[in-house]
Amino acid sequence: MSSPFAIETTDLFRSYRTYEKNPGIWGSLQGFWNRKYTEKMALAATNLQIEPGQIVGMVGANGAGKTTLIKVLSGLIVPSGGQAKVLGFTPWERDYRYLRQMTVLLGQKNQLWWDISPNDSYSLLADIYDLDRGKAKNRVQELAGLLDCGSVLKTQLRRLSLGERMKMEIIGCLLHDPKILFLDEPTIGLDIVAQTAIRKFLAEYVKEKKPTVILTSHYMDDIAKLADRLLLISKGQIVYDGTVPGFAQKSKSKQKITFALTEPCAHPLILAEQHFPQGTLQFSVEVTDHQLPSTMNQITSLTGITDLRLEQVDFEEVIHDFMRGG
Amino acid sequence: MRKYWRIYWSFFRTGFIADMEYRANFLFRVVTDTVWYAAQIIGFNVIFTHTKSIAGWDAEKTRVFLGLLFVADAIYMIMLSDNLDKLTDRVRKGELDLLLVKPINSQFIVSLQRVSTSLITNLIMGICFLGYSFAQLPDASVPRLLWLLLMIPCGLVCLYSVRFMISATSVIFTKADNLQFLWHQVYRLGMRPDQIYSRWLRMIVLSVIPVAMIASVPARFVVGPPDWGLAAWTVGWSIFLIWCSSRYWKLALRFYTSASS
Amino acid sequence: MSFWRRNRAFFKLAIVTNLEYRFNYILDSIGQPIVTSGVELAFWSAIFASTGQQTIAGFDLHSYMAYAIWASFMARISVNWMYEFRMIEEVESGGLNTLLVRPMSFFEYYLSQFLGYKIVTTLISLTIPVAVTVALGFPMIWSRLLPAMGLAVYYLVFLFIMSFIVVTFAFHLTRIQGISVAKNLALWIFSGELLPLDIFPEPYRSALIHLPFSSGVFIPVAYITGRVDATVLYSGVLSISVGIAALSAIAYPMWKWGLRRYVGTGA
Repeated sequence: MSSPFAIETTDLFRSYRTYEKNPGIWGSLQGFWNRKYTEKMALAATNLQIEPGQIVGMVGANGAGKTTLIKVLSGLIVPSGGQAKVLGFTPWERDYRYLRQMTVLLGQKNQLWWDISPNDSYSLLADIYDLDRGKAKNRVQELAGLLDCGSVLKTQLRRLSLGERMKMEIIGCLLHDPKILFLDEPTIGLDIVAQTAIRKFLAEYVKEKKPTVILTSHYMDDIAKLADRLLLISKGQIVYDGTVPGFAQKSKSKQKITFALTEPCAHPLILAEQHFPQGTLQFSVEVTDHQLPSTMNQITSLTGITDLRLEQVDFEEVIHDFMRGG
Repeated sequence: MRKYWRIYWSFFRTGFIADMEYRANFLFRVVTDTVWYAAQIIGFNVIFTHTKSIAGWDAEKTRVFLGLLFVADAIYMIMLSDNLDKLTDRVRKGELDLLLVKPINSQFIVSLQRVSTSLITNLIMGICFLGYSFAQLPDASVPRLLWLLLMIPCGLVCLYSVRFMISATSVIFTKADNLQFLWHQVYRLGMRPDQIYSRWLRMIVLSVIPVAMIASVPARFVVGPPDWGLAAWTVGWSIFLIWCSSRYWKLALRFYTSASS
Repeated sequence: MSFWRRNRAFFKLAIVTNLEYRFNYILDSIGQPIVTSGVELAFWSAIFASTGQQTIAGFDLHSYMAYAIWASFMARISVNWMYEFRMIEEVESGGLNTLLVRPMSFFEYYLSQFLGYKIVTTLISLTIPVAVTVALGFPMIWSRLLPAMGLAVYYLVFLFIMSFIVVTFAFHLTRIQGISVAKNLALWIFSGELLPLDIFPEPYRSALIHLPFSSGVFIPVAYITGRVDATVLYSGVLSISVGIAALSAIAYPMWKWGLRRYVGTGA
């Protein structure tokens, strides 16, 4: 491999064509003969370099382009333009040598076979990936042990609960020991217990096997706990690329002070550059670390303070603020 | 009554809007049904190159029969087929709950809410073919066509009622795919004039499985003098069957509520 | 080596998953041919009864009945509804995603399953026409059964490539089940399921028999019931081969073109 990167993209983009319809019967008739199409940019020109062994968390609203990026990199869809190399292969050529080294987990889709048991699915996967049968069996046992789900391996997939099914899917994904993992919403729709179990498992797995991972999730905890690099995508564009703590730093507001007054304040107040009009009762101020001491001084000089609280701003909120600002 | 017409109109509207969305499907439905019509016509034409008539039906009369089959089948497909085929699915997915809570006759909404407007082209083709084959009849008599205004609706009502009861069975047993599937096979019996069948089979297709009512019976009133006994039977039987279907639906719903609670 | 290994697995998968729904399976492979051939038997009896002729186009009632029985059986085999709909569904719903990321091709995955399903179904439903033929003493040349079935299996490959081409339309258009239905209906006439192709007037007769579609029903059935001889069987092999070559030339570019348009909706 000439490139030092596991994943590298240059000006990679993808656009879609959609069609708009006027309402009513007349609109339908018009749409039947004559359609107006519009181009929509799902992924704007992306330049990305990911080193082997890196765990990249991707965050963004629905339709921001995360899934599109994953689909292009895993060879599912062909980009509208630009280049991408993953492990030295162009993904959408779907070279079997590439496909054997990578895996995709799509949280909302079943990848195992619905009507047969996970064990049967795994032996089918062993045939597809040309794995040694005995080794594959041991690996299933090992992974099932880690995920604590050995008891359901022989039950048909359609009879399993969502959480169990997801665990089964994860085993299926990791069976061929992939070097690259694309995990799209691995914990979506699961209850807290299952989420935590899967998170814990993935953390242990990446520590041991050191694969390159791109992970998307709606649950910021997934990202914060697992990822060592964060990509924030908004409207098809990467708007932040760095570490998780670095992101929190960059997005200034780090801590939140909330308090109330027993009497409405008599004068307008300025706390950490934020304005509060005369008569305010409830206050909520976000401050950076270096603003904290002076702001606290200011607040404590007020009379009639009740319910003063200082909280760490939630990671999730930080991201939302960042996106709103950007 | 007015209310139901208005509701039906809005079913029609939404059906139309939905169908227009899928242009390719629309065009292919037309192609498909043209092929199907052609197959029926070709089939009989080929046989009539080897024989003059089958059970009293010669080439001209058979064409009228086919014309009626296309027209009645098109109406059935536009108004009913999709609804009845999907009823089992709806029951299984629990969609029936949403329909049952509406302040409207549930049999009406379950049977008619989806209108396959894309098949109107079929109806037009069918009417054209019927008109053509009627004109070819040596003893064509226009007043006889008036019989169709009575016989086609009655035939459809018979067919609908039985088909609906089969679908309604799925409310009781939830899994009745196989009944539906057998129905589609048996429906083929209606694609040929009933006189070609043996006595007992004819009795069945004119009563319990009234597939012959849809085209065979109306055709007889167009190609020959009216058979008053058959007319009385068709009208009476259609009234009886629709009554049965509504009773059966109520019975089925009792099972439905008791099963899900 | 790995090619055969995985395809053997797909072949087995089809058998396992279909046996999972035993009841539907039996109905599909046995129930349907019984009803269909019943309707056909009634029809031909009526034709012969009302014409009073001993033969039609040179064949007697028994010969038509034998044809009807075997044709309804053969037509069950040489048609691809289920897997074609499933393949279209995969493309439309984005279920294709889970197949594309694996080191295998969509084509082989479904072809092997299709053949697995069909071959087992054939073996099971073969019992019906065999039993009826023996019981009613219909004309039948038993030694020809094996070559005729061989032709039918070869036809399945041709049939599958047709399905595959239909499926590639699903990349560009939504809800294309209509194409599938139209195609299968056309095959209903062209294969000889509707009527024996040799009672069509010329020139349709020769044209229909020489098209590859006749190998689905007419040629194998006519061959085992003694309506045609081995030369027609060989011409069937030839026309299928030509058909496969021609369709393959279109199928691959169509697939590649479709994949470029693929957006992988759903997940």
